[in-house]
Amino acid sequence: MAALGTLDSANLNGGQKLAVKFFTVAIALFGAQVLFGMLAGIQYLNPDFLFGVLDFSVNRMLHINAMVVWLLFGFIGAVYWLLEDESGTPVAGLGLGNLMFWVFTLAVVVVVLVYLLVQVGPGELKSIWLINEGREYIEAPRWADIGIVVCVLIFFYNVAATFMKGRFTGIGGVLVLDLVALAGLYLAGMWYTPNISMDQHWWWWVIHLWVEATWEVLVGCLLAYGLVKTMGVRRRIVETWLYIEVALLFGSGILGLGHHYFWIGTPEYWLAIGGFFSALEPIPLVAMVVHAVFDAGHHKLKSSNNPALAWMIAQAFGNFFGAGVWGFMHTLPQINLYTHGTQWTASHGHLAFFGAYATIVIAFVYLAVQKWRGNVWMSGDMAGGWKWKWAIFLLHAGMIGMTMALLVTGYEQSQVERAIGGSSWIAYFEAQAHVWFVQGMNWRMVSGWMFATGFVLLAWDLMTIGKRETRPARSVEVPAAAMA
Amino acid sequence: MIEPVELANFFTVFFSAASVILFGAGYALLFAWSRVSGRPRLMPLAYATYLGLAVSVLVLGNAANLFNNGYWTFIVGLMLVGYLVAPHAVWHLCVGTHAEGDEAIKVSQQR
Repeated sequence: MAALGTLDSANLNGGQKLAVKFFTVAIALFGAQVLFGMLAGIQYLNPDFLFGVLDFSVNRMLHINAMVVWLLFGFIGAVYWLLEDESGTPVAGLGLGNLMFWVFTLAVVVVVLVYLLVQVGPGELKSIWLINEGREYIEAPRWADIGIVVCVLIFFYNVAATFMKGRFTGIGGVLVLDLVALAGLYLAGMWYTPNISMDQHWWWWVIHLWVEATWEVLVGCLLAYGLVKTMGVRRRIVETWLYIEVALLFGSGILGLGHHYFWIGTPEYWLAIGGFFSALEPIPLVAMVVHAVFDAGHHKLKSSNNPALAWMIAQAFGNFFGAGVWGFMHTLPQINLYTHGTQWTASHGHLAFFGAYATIVIAFVYLAVQKWRGNVWMSGDMAGGWKWKWAIFLLHAGMIGMTMALLVTGYEQSQVERAIGGSSWIAYFEAQAHVWFVQGMNWRMVSGWMFATGFVLLAWDLMTIGKRETRPARSVEVPAAAMA
Repeated sequence: MIEPVELANFFTVFFSAASVILFGAGYALLFAWSRVSGRPRLMPLAYATYLGLAVSVLVLGNAANLFNNGYWTFIVGLMLVGYLVAPHAVWHLCVGTHAEGDEAIKVSQQR
């Protein structure tokens, strides 16, 4: 056994060894997301920048695809991380899981290379299969789509078979059912129809129901495990709350899908359904504030891993503001008519994705690093502890800055382009040239640099945190009897 | 089915919608803090915050033309009730699920 503070795979179980591979690729893809986002941001200010070399359309696609895939890698890694711990048995079919990791990673590399090398050309059946499927956010070609489904099925097999072989905890049960939905919903985005309304109808099943249903539940499972590990919260409590939250999320989230059906050619009753659930969707988020205060009163925020806990707290706030406040501001159809697809949506998307999902993956990577270094001390008074604090500050300040800047540009677009200009082609460009838009994009860029700096610091911290520590981690877990 | 927002009311809609959620969170926060810390004096402040939420909902309803249609008026009513009772319901769930050996809960249950 290596000394405390030294990275050593012997500190990890089989599932965790696989998890750190997923985490490593996830963080690399996070970097790619930041890089392509920065390039796209520069192109808003200087449209000639890299024109014909790396077009805005490609940068934007890579920016968003990298985000989807790094979060997916992070989630898969997080599940492998907790799998043996939760089930009490080694991962079933771990070799297959390892093979899946390499195939998945190789497929991502090939898809990105094709995006970069074949940027323009005719759109035909061959290009759907080999180059780009053309559906926003899930542009991966059909071969990669099928590959993703196979990988997710292997992942599902690993998870379900392991829990069946070992013990099925509450977290495990919810997780397995959620993965069925996660894999099944992806299929909705794979079939072809020439009717754009029908295409959009099914496409939203992947985008909305992944994000506002299955991903939220997955994050609920990860948070439940994380709270047991970092704060010693009793298992019975977190599992009961997991069930409650799943009911609330599915209750409001599934038909909240309706707010994406307002303007895509679906029947008018979706205005009523979407409006109803959109108005009520934030209530569970607001109600959860009560639970957060209640639990904070209980545990006095003593934790075995301060960076992980800080990112979990950031998740609660980010989810509340990004999804709750920013979502509700423009979700009713009476106003969404003007804001849909403007930078307002981008503002909401940036804060919600970062707040709800990026935060929890980063928290798990900190949990992983701690154990990888021999379960080293990561509570207060940590050697080199300034780096994680500055990283979390810069990433949040950058993200809030980008969100506010995009809010201003979206507000201007909704007025100048939509309400005054009537959504015409000319009005679109008038809005893009407006001083509010340009200033907003400049401030977005400044904030983007801040965010990028935060990312570099985060990556540096993840590679070095705990290296100079010789103390074992603070123990917070409650006795096994109390965990039942 | 819907009557789009007037241009002059854009800011009012955005601001009041954000206020609904922020007042909602403020109300939930003060409500829970009052009970967890055993400070009943905070409870009127919690309900004052809810009053802010109610005003925001009504302003939003007016600016977004929700009162011109029975269905949307019903949703306004549902929001007022939902945001009011949700913290109460979650508090009861918290007490029920954390029932073992916590002084704060015992205090709140005795009240």
